[in-house]
Amino acid sequence: MNERLKGKAPRKLLFLFEILSLSLIFLYSWEGIQTETYVIAVGLVLLIYFSNYLLGRISKGDSYIFLIVCMLISIGIIMIYRISPDLGLKQLMWLTFGIAMFFAAYFATRYISFWNRMTVLYLAASYLLFAATLIMGSRTHGAINWITIAGVSVQPAEITKIILVFLLAAFYGGDEKYRRIRNAELILMIVVYSFIGLLFLQRDLGTAVIFFGVFTGIQYIYSEDRRLIWANLGLAAAGGVAGYLLFDHVKVRVTTWLDPWPHINDKGYQITQSLFAISEGGFFGTGLGRGNPSFIPLSYNDFIFSAISEEMGIFTGIGVIMLFMLLVYRGFKIALRQENLFFRIVALGISMVFGIQAFIIIGGVMKVIPLTGLTLPFVSYGGTSVVTSFIALGILQGASEKRGKAGIVDE
Amino acid sequence: MFDLLSIVLKYVFVFIIYLFIFTIIRMIYLDIRSVDYGNLESGAYLKLLNRIDSLPYNLSDSYPVEGELTLGRQKDNIIQIKDPFISKKHFRIIKDENEFFLEDLGSSNGTYLNGEKVLDVVRIGKGDIIKVGELEFIFIDGA
Amino acid sequence: MNSERKRIITILIALCLGFVFLIGYLSYFQMFRAQAVRDNSYNKRLWINEDNILRGSITDRDGEVLVYSESVDGEAQRIYRYDNLYSHVIGYSLRDYGKSGLERKYNSYLVNANENTAINELINLINPTGVGNNLSLTIDHDLQTRTRELMSGKKGSAIAIDPNTGEILSMVSVPDFSVDALSENWTSVSENPDSPLLNRGIQGQYTPGSIFKILTALGVIRNGLPEAIYQCSGSTVIDGYTIRDFDESGHGPLNLEQAFAVSCNTYFVDQAVAMGHEQLREIAESLMFNDRIDFDLETSASIFPEASLGLTDLAASGIGQGRVLTTPLNMLMIVSAVANDGYMPMPHLVESIYTPSGMNIESHKTESRKVMDKGEAEALQRMMREVVASGTGTNAGINGVQVAGKTGTAENSSGNNHAWFVGFAPLEDPQVAVVVLLEEEGSSGGRAAAPIAREMISFAINRLSN
Repeated sequence: MNERLKGKAPRKLLFLFEILSLSLIFLYSWEGIQTETYVIAVGLVLLIYFSNYLLGRISKGDSYIFLIVCMLISIGIIMIYRISPDLGLKQLMWLTFGIAMFFAAYFATRYISFWNRMTVLYLAASYLLFAATLIMGSRTHGAINWITIAGVSVQPAEITKIILVFLLAAFYGGDEKYRRIRNAELILMIVVYSFIGLLFLQRDLGTAVIFFGVFTGIQYIYSEDRRLIWANLGLAAAGGVAGYLLFDHVKVRVTTWLDPWPHINDKGYQITQSLFAISEGGFFGTGLGRGNPSFIPLSYNDFIFSAISEEMGIFTGIGVIMLFMLLVYRGFKIALRQENLFFRIVALGISMVFGIQAFIIIGGVMKVIPLTGLTLPFVSYGGTSVVTSFIALGILQGASEKRGKAGIVDE
Repeated sequence: MFDLLSIVLKYVFVFIIYLFIFTIIRMIYLDIRSVDYGNLESGAYLKLLNRIDSLPYNLSDSYPVEGELTLGRQKDNIIQIKDPFISKKHFRIIKDENEFFLEDLGSSNGTYLNGEKVLDVVRIGKGDIIKVGELEFIFIDGA
Repeated sequence: MNSERKRIITILIALCLGFVFLIGYLSYFQMFRAQAVRDNSYNKRLWINEDNILRGSITDRDGEVLVYSESVDGEAQRIYRYDNLYSHVIGYSLRDYGKSGLERKYNSYLVNANENTAINELINLINPTGVGNNLSLTIDHDLQTRTRELMSGKKGSAIAIDPNTGEILSMVSVPDFSVDALSENWTSVSENPDSPLLNRGIQGQYTPGSIFKILTALGVIRNGLPEAIYQCSGSTVIDGYTIRDFDESGHGPLNLEQAFAVSCNTYFVDQAVAMGHEQLREIAESLMFNDRIDFDLETSASIFPEASLGLTDLAASGIGQGRVLTTPLNMLMIVSAVANDGYMPMPHLVESIYTPSGMNIESHKTESRKVMDKGEAEALQRMMREVVASGTGTNAGINGVQVAGKTGTAENSSGNNHAWFVGFAPLEDPQVAVVVLLEEEGSSGGRAAAPIAREMISFAINRLSN
């Protein structure tokens, strides 16, 4: 297609960006360069070039989302490596694994068409994961998010996010039989609220908001009963207020959001350091290696956006936001073009997850909304985050292929 | 030395990132202009048979026929092809009471249906091949 | 179907709007808020440059070095040559206790961290100086020393300004503190009930008392009533409440100029009640009350009540009592406006900033705004001359120089009156304006504050004519 011809231009730009930033990083850590660094450099460049090429060859679906994500991961890994070469190398590993999972998820979505019939499975799996987290979970940074299996730390909520999308798609776009149950939609809403409640218990407020957002979005589009939507919004508002009044940890987050300066040494430490970093770089940044992202706690993770704004400037920060905007737009476009209802909802759901998550964490570190412990998809360091984001992307890619009414991909 | 490089490069990076973003936006925009919209209601459409990367111009692989579909060199055609071989207004397909008709609009080099030159208005159905110059389309009626 | 499509697009637009909002806020933040956030003393980045760069020096208007840094055994030492004399104006820069005064406001210049433009950045790189930029102040060191002498043993503030340009010639706040010993004595200094760390001249909010009559008088002039005769009987009753003059026997018949010269309370109380709260407030606000004053240091705002609580409250406001509060700086700016024929100059301390090699980076541009007509200003000038010539301010008079001013004795909750004097000289062509505030002095403005002002003005004029 003509598109593939033109697709070379962004690839070349990406390549140029990587080469330049990697050279700079090399210069920065001139003394400490080990073989690992070269591994990263070569590895990253090859990985991106190769996977783009491969995707172009095998998929007739969307060709933009992967490209956009590649730019995001490039910006991310450069920043992470600059902050800590160790983490940078680990991130590369995760990225490689993630891309592999991307292709796996893509194939699974493309060739398996009975995803829309597993509603009960989705329900069960979700509750199982929640139970596992609550029982086996360990508390980090105030939230019970993680479980460790065989030495590997996983965040079950990330997986449940995707299952939620499938659950909603199966309900609204799959077999009619579930919708025909009396008060089916109400039951669904109660189920989703139970998820949100469990997340609340885990103190994972960010993910709770994502769940709510995705559910409300899908409900708004597909629910036949418009009153339910109002009920949903009303409940959420009431729940929000109740949460604020009843739970201290919610109160703390809101007060710290409104005015962190009096608490600059304890509760407000994270957000104020983030603001210092963001205001330091100016429009073009201080230059890679010349700022002080180490002053920001969790600069490689939740606050990666602040570190990027400091060293690479507000313009790069805006660029990241624009990339997410493009990603979401593209996801919605894929949905609009997809004839199959189930996969349409899947595409919508995943796009919404990306969009809402990015909005929440970027807004949080800028003090536009209260801070929550979320990662910036593809950019932040984090095994589970990277891998599940790629899986979601793979599913989106699969959902972008033309299918006949039977749900099978049109060859 | 590093500092100097870092400072110079930071402007370069921003430039590259924005160039990247705008290239993608432009690609998407071109895509939109030539690609169908409401695929949600599938109806009849014209599918391109040629391999698109063998063609020098921007084409999509299918065009829906909603009411009327025109092809020609001029801008106001639904399928615009900037090729001197194609006439300004080359042919059109119209829908009339659930049936589809192909009409040659007085083109210089002719429109061919299943190999035969179209002289005025002919009815077309599923599987018919329409050829103009090097371009070959197949008409698909999904209804 | 169509409604599904529409809803999908709606959600898409909502998300995109959200992102656009983030982009907008980020830009707004960078353009308008970033600098203020950076200047926070908790920002460790402010200190990073300190280790590499020798902090710049600060000089007075004639080049006399007041503060400088030097490298001793590889460590940077900050030398405050005149210690407490500039403890409020210049302030301090300490690792453990942060920065204050000009050291804080101009920190990025002093450590050369100002790389706001690409050119600056590259220049810094290509030609790294290792030394920060220098500040040249408007302060006259000798006048500052003399002012401090005059204020020894007192509590309050004295400021001298050039009313034409807004250049601050001296600014003293007492009690002050030793900057050199601050680290050791931090607790005792910061917890001292007399608040030595407070810059009373610009942050202290005091009851103005009779000096506020300048504003009330302006109202009388604007209402066309300066010549109207008022019978002063020594006291007047407003809303059942009696307000008395200092001299209870009464001043007899007075017009504005006469009432102003002797500072007759009852006259001004009557006038204030007649003109009403709104007009008085308007005048106050046009003269920077209830407003932030843009200055090189943090200032507090003067306060004129939003709404009147009744006639007695209004009456009290008219003579600068009640709920009216002002900073010495604000009163000085008002007096400067009078001296400057109605144009109020914006005050500033820093004249210019220049590189170690002498290249000028930034020069202050004088700004003034018109707050009254020339005629009104001239009338006030004459009235203020009378105060010193024959009224309550004769202690400020200087042989051979026409000094103009206004005294104030403000009752306040402590029981001891504040003593105020504001004035300028010479009348024909003002060179200097001063404000002297003696907090809780217990004596009248004419007796306690005017002599100090006289000495300041005399010194300044001598200096300027040399």
